[in-house]
Amino acid sequence: MSAEPNPVLNLPAIEVLTSKLRRRQVVGSRPAALETLILLRQVVAKARFSNIEQLVEIIRTVGRRLVQAQPKEHSVGNTVRKVLHHIREEYNTATKGTSAAPSTTSFSISKFISQGQPKRQNTGSGPNHHPQAMMKATSTWVNHVPAPPQDGRRASVQINRKEDVQQEEEDDDDSTDGEGSSAGPSTTTGQDPDAFAKGLKPVLMEAIQDVLDELETVYDTVSKNAKDHVHSDEIILTLGMSRTVEAFLKAAAHHRNFTVIVAETGPSYSGHAMAASLSASSISTILVPDSSIYALMSRVNKVFLGAHAILANGGAFATTGTLLAATAARTHSTPVVICAGQFKLTPKWNLYHEYGGLDFGDPGDVLGFEEGLLTDGVDVVNPHYDYLAPELIDAFITNDGDHPPSSIYRLIKETYDDEDNDL
Amino acid sequence: MAPRSSASTTKEKLIGGEDEVLQAIILADSFNKRFKPLTTRKPRCLLPICNAPLLEWTFESLALAGVKEIFVVCRSHSGQVKAAIAESKWSKPGSGIKITTILTAKETYSPGDAMRDVYTRGLVTSDFVLVAGDLVSNVRIDEVVRVHKERRKTNKDAIMTMVVKESGVNHRTRSKGDSAVFVLDAETSECLHYEPVDGHPKKSTVQIPREILAEHPELEIRNDLIDCCIDVCSAEVPSLFQDNFDYLDLRRDFVHGVLTSDLLMKNIHCYVLKEGYAARVKDTKSYDAISKDILSRWTFPLVPDDNHPSGHVYEHLRGNKYIAKGDTVTLSRTCKIGNNTLIGSSTQVYDNAIITGSVIGRHCVIGNGTVIRGSYVFDGTVIGPNCVIEQSIIGAGVSIKEKSTVMKGCLLGDGVMVGPGAKIEAFERLSVKPGMEVQMDVEEDSEDEDEDKGDDDSEEEVEEDGLTEDDTELDSDIEEVEKIQDTLKAKLVLGRDSNALVWPRGPILDDDEEDAEGPDNFTNQRLVRLADNCSDLADSDSDNDSDASTDSNSDSDEIPIEAGGASLLLSQPQTEFKREVKLSLDRAFEEGHSVDNAAVELKTLRMASNVPLVHVRTGVVAAIVDRIPIVEGNPGEQRQAIGKMIGRWGELINRIGGIDGVETVTVLQAQCASSKRVALFGPILVALYQQDIVDEDDIRGWHELPVSQGVGALLSEAEELKRCWTVGSRMIEQFDEQESSEEDDDEDSE
Repeated sequence: MSAEPNPVLNLPAIEVLTSKLRRRQVVGSRPAALETLILLRQVVAKARFSNIEQLVEIIRTVGRRLVQAQPKEHSVGNTVRKVLHHIREEYNTATKGTSAAPSTTSFSISKFISQGQPKRQNTGSGPNHHPQAMMKATSTWVNHVPAPPQDGRRASVQINRKEDVQQEEEDDDDSTDGEGSSAGPSTTTGQDPDAFAKGLKPVLMEAIQDVLDELETVYDTVSKNAKDHVHSDEIILTLGMSRTVEAFLKAAAHHRNFTVIVAETGPSYSGHAMAASLSASSISTILVPDSSIYALMSRVNKVFLGAHAILANGGAFATTGTLLAATAARTHSTPVVICAGQFKLTPKWNLYHEYGGLDFGDPGDVLGFEEGLLTDGVDVVNPHYDYLAPELIDAFITNDGDHPPSSIYRLIKETYDDEDNDL
Repeated sequence: MAPRSSASTTKEKLIGGEDEVLQAIILADSFNKRFKPLTTRKPRCLLPICNAPLLEWTFESLALAGVKEIFVVCRSHSGQVKAAIAESKWSKPGSGIKITTILTAKETYSPGDAMRDVYTRGLVTSDFVLVAGDLVSNVRIDEVVRVHKERRKTNKDAIMTMVVKESGVNHRTRSKGDSAVFVLDAETSECLHYEPVDGHPKKSTVQIPREILAEHPELEIRNDLIDCCIDVCSAEVPSLFQDNFDYLDLRRDFVHGVLTSDLLMKNIHCYVLKEGYAARVKDTKSYDAISKDILSRWTFPLVPDDNHPSGHVYEHLRGNKYIAKGDTVTLSRTCKIGNNTLIGSSTQVYDNAIITGSVIGRHCVIGNGTVIRGSYVFDGTVIGPNCVIEQSIIGAGVSIKEKSTVMKGCLLGDGVMVGPGAKIEAFERLSVKPGMEVQMDVEEDSEDEDEDKGDDDSEEEVEEDGLTEDDTELDSDIEEVEKIQDTLKAKLVLGRDSNALVWPRGPILDDDEEDAEGPDNFTNQRLVRLADNCSDLADSDSDNDSDASTDSNSDSDEIPIEAGGASLLLSQPQTEFKREVKLSLDRAFEEGHSVDNAAVELKTLRMASNVPLVHVRTGVVAAIVDRIPIVEGNPGEQRQAIGKMIGRWGELINRIGGIDGVETVTVLQAQCASSKRVALFGPILVALYQQDIVDEDDIRGWHELPVSQGVGALLSEAEELKRCWTVGSRMIEQFDEQESSEEDDDEDSE
């Protein structure tokens, strides 16, 4: 980033969110992701930048501060990465949309999924691939181009775009983001420095809004295909209170009759809430103590679990107790399925089993503070999460389709840009 | 507060909305010296716990609770406190908290004085949170505030809510020296009775007033609560302190006073925490306990790896080990780091060193083969090879040379140098000799810049003022210590080049200080000392019970003192009250107040000190008797003098709040018997009788009491009492005669 500190970085909202994250006043993947998105939208709206690189740097700085405030809430970093990815994508679409063939450089998720490694494809792929995604990208731009009444500004944006395009024609596509934008400021110098930002902002807001929409509908989209995964008269085991699993099972209950066994999931006993909620929507529900998970496993057809984060190696962090359930399921060869939104995809590994990653909480839940002398002699730990190795998981159901653990790395590569893995 | 539902209230608070700002007052002075000599050059609230100053933990605790405006009331070392606040992240614009430092006068000796200062400055306008500057808490205080406000809507007399935490009697964080029994109404959790419990001598009974049992169907009498010293107070609390100028301590005086007062009619409630953690670093023992609680994550999310108040970043490893992140820590391959240990950034630990259950500051060096167990080492300390340090607190910039041993419970002040080969006995306290400080400062400058900056940056006049005054106070301390150096040093091996000054064990020093600070603070000081004796690191390490047997050395000279202190403590309010009564009467006599005025003054005094009526009567009678001039060899004149005195002031005896002639006579007898005015008993009694202050029945009633004859009194006094009694008998004989003669008269007339 340039030398002068950007005023947007002093936005009080950033400080408010970092301290909330630090103080654990925002907990849970989805609330954290939502708050992050709302903050980023504010930042982008207020940011002053004259090229895309500056904007990316601003967002990265904000993201870095948020992640440092609470490294254990992975969805914060993920959201930042996703927004960055979308911004670059929109920028690329926008810069090429008018001058070059719109389809050549547009990067959309759906396209990545259908075509694999995006960065390798240089040649223009057919516009017929995903016309809908294309339409959207172009239409947003088309909508906005006539919008600004000031001709000068529009012109500058146009110039930018042309510059970029020329640059990109010379360069390989891999370096699009860095190189292309570096050309931006040289052309804008001497003109209104805000012109670039003004032209691009509506598109970016649109991009962030897309991410927000996706996040808001994540439970519905995850449970879209629920009936394909749950069959009639199956017995399903779940742990803890996962909103995703809850929505998923409820969606499945519209089409199927099945039984859910909910483990209490100490020490939080969030299973109680889960059981109450499921049985309220007339699913036959059984609440069992954690100790009987193994004994019941032989009768269970499937294990559905929520996740706190899905890691790049296909492993996952999930509520304490899930390791027990997953291991028991493995012994009985019962399938273990994890339901989670895409915002939980985290480009990180846990190869060395980082101890702190499990996020240890207040031991008070395990052993009461009033136990007095006992607390002096005993070391009590209360991890929030278990780490599930990829071998223990059979499938991930996300809002982006179903995936085996082995293909998670690819999903992550497609969802985020590589350079953002370390914010 | 307009919004009704709690959810919307908290939300608005978080957003920083328009509704009423929650204020907090931090009493940043400890008003005691439990941490000496660590606190000679630094206020207690800036002592680090888990490598962050206590004050920062307090700020974080308050921020967690949504407090928006904080007043920090500080007295000693105020310059340092100010500088520390200015430097911290809290004074940055984005923190969302407004912090104002309030300097109180040097004459502020107690929390009560500080509260009076708060009142005179008019700092608070609505309900506020009152905490000490050494609080570590993750409690949602806003929830307590909400409950408090809710209660205030229906009951205007609920002036305060105390936050207490359930802990069990023997919890390490529950101070044994300084706890209390709470009597709560089971339904409303109103605090009905508060009785402080001192650790030494052990208190085994608590007296609960009978009315409480009569008025409340269900009571909880609890001895398992930690007093978190978080009080949600109404705006009138400071004014109560103003009205009752003798309130010193928040608990022992204020809470006790309000609850027992029959005039104030105010209620205090308790909020028993179900979840959350809160405790005060009151003394070295709670320092140890709270450090352990932080390391074992009871204070979550206020833990080193998550929300460290100073913003350090630590990595949490298996077994609650916390190592500073960022590769600045050098750990030798062969050193052993045990459980529950925290190691600050840029610290070096060499081969075969063993560190368990300890906190090591930043920029420290731990030499080869050194063993550190259960100790707290502040920033920039260098510990040479092959040392052993057990359960001690080592200040900043200390240098301990090779092969030294520091036994448990020691406090080493900032910049002390000992060794090589020093042997420091258990519970020793060391600080730097005045002359040697310069050297230490240089050393500290290089290693511990942050702290020193605080000193150097102080530019304002007030601060300099404060510092010099601190220095003079300190110098007097040190002079005292220096006087007795030779005797103290004989026991210890400090090693050559040591710059250490050995502080005496026990309370010799404190006694002198008490004199210096005046009798106003007497109670407070004594309580502090009691607690100190029990909660010096001595006790933290071994149980209270085993302590007496294992540690004959330190205990042998402490126990008798404590016992003496306790008896003094009990009688202390009484003597003080007597003194007050005497002063008040002296004034009345000299300035010729009306009896009414004098009576009102005495009544107020009684209410304030909460003593039974008999003490007032004793005081008044004694004053009157003492005022009667003795006229030798002239009974007539003597009688006249007595008559004049009783005529002017006798009425006062019955105006002090109750008429009890029998008691008056008893008191008079005791007073005469114990002074040189035995002979005056008869005449005074007659005069009282003539003024209708006592009547015949009273005299007869008194006469029949066994006590009046000197039964159960000391030998020397019994005789005098007996003499008075005989005078009385003679008078009664007279009455009998009179009666019979009256009867005769009647008969005659008929």
